Amino acid sequence: MKEVVPTSDIAFDVERGTIELGGRRIVAHCNHYNVFLQRTIEDGLKERAPRLLTAAGSEAARKLLEGIEAAAPSSSAEESLERAVRIFAEHGFGAFDIAQLGERGGVATMLRSHYAIGWRSRWGVRSTPGCFFPAGYLAGAVAVAAKVAPERVTAMETECHAAGAERCSFFVEVW
Amino acid sequence: MAIDERIVTEAVAGLELKGNEEGLIPAFGLYLTKHFADYYNRISYGLLGAFIRELPELEEDAIALLTEAGHVCSFHTFGGIMLSVEWDAVVKPMIESREDWVKGMIGVINALGWGQYRLQELVPNERLVLQVNHSYEAVGLLEGYGKASYPRCYLASGGAAGLMNLLYQGDITKRPSLTEEYYHEVFGQAHSFRARETRCLAMGDSHCEIIVERQQA
Repeated sequence: MKEVVPTSDIAFDVERGTIELGGRRIVAHCNHYNVFLQRTIEDGLKERAPRLLTAAGSEAARKLLEGIEAAAPSSSAEESLERAVRIFAEHGFGAFDIAQLGERGGVATMLRSHYAIGWRSRWGVRSTPGCFFPAGYLAGAVAVAAKVAPERVTAMETECHAAGAERCSFFVEVW
Repeated sequence: MAIDERIVTEAVAGLELKGNEEGLIPAFGLYLTKHFADYYNRISYGLLGAFIRELPELEEDAIALLTEAGHVCSFHTFGGIMLSVEWDAVVKPMIESREDWVKGMIGVINALGWGQYRLQELVPNERLVLQVNHSYEAVGLLEGYGKASYPRCYLASGGAAGLMNLLYQGDITKRPSLTEEYYHEVFGQAHSFRARETRCLAMGDSHCEIIVERQQA
């Protein structure tokens, strides 16, 4: 049986009202806030919004996963990626299928994305893909797993449940 | 029995809120995420920074939008929690007055990772003063952008206003449906509650302070 790399324990400090994982703050929020805030960014920044939303997802993932890797290193890039997607799912964002994703990039899919479900339930189908945070998270996770500079990894959602597709698909490139 | 906020906090923190086989966390009638403060701070202050640089005359509008996101958050998250079976099981047995709903909700908030909220003053149907320690917004602002010249905790402010609106402008104790119509009924009135942050960790204060009062028509 394959050994599961620990995700590192979440630390809740009742005196400070803080939750930390990998040395970074974790905060609970619901689908309504997540998609409303995303829409606020999209309305405010228009065509520039996807860059900010995706870059922020990549940065947040990288900071968190680097902290976890420092405390409990993975033995391979594959193991690091598996841990990253397990954390993603445990935190409520959806379950990535990364059978076609590796340290050199590839494709990941997700059947039930938190952001896509949240968007459709609030506003219906949108005209373009809308899972920017998951795309950024994947880019950050691949950068950490491959141990490359984050600028070398880009991720883009190619089809999205929020835009009417059956599932969300992400194309990750390592340059 | 009076509300023991610590018991509430520990009970909520002890809930096994973890993604199911689909990677989702259905709870309190919502889908929850255990999200990353770094993400919220980067996109919120990134948006605000773009407005300050490029459209400074619209800075207040950007702040209003970020605060409105806090209103939406409180309406659905706080509202959903106060209508939940978990609330009925853990908090409701301790409730003796409408004000206890505020205290119980502060106990819940303190389990969400947002920081430590302390009730400083509650004048029923009139005024709420909260002290917030370790606000994730202020901490993130300081870490990513340096000291601020004015308060920056928009989610906390919107959330605090929402708490008062749910209890005194609307009436969450009567178990309303959390519809868009009800949202406008409790937040969209001339005398609905609004918050202002009077102290902020991001400005160098020892903590954040949020005062919630009714808007003046």
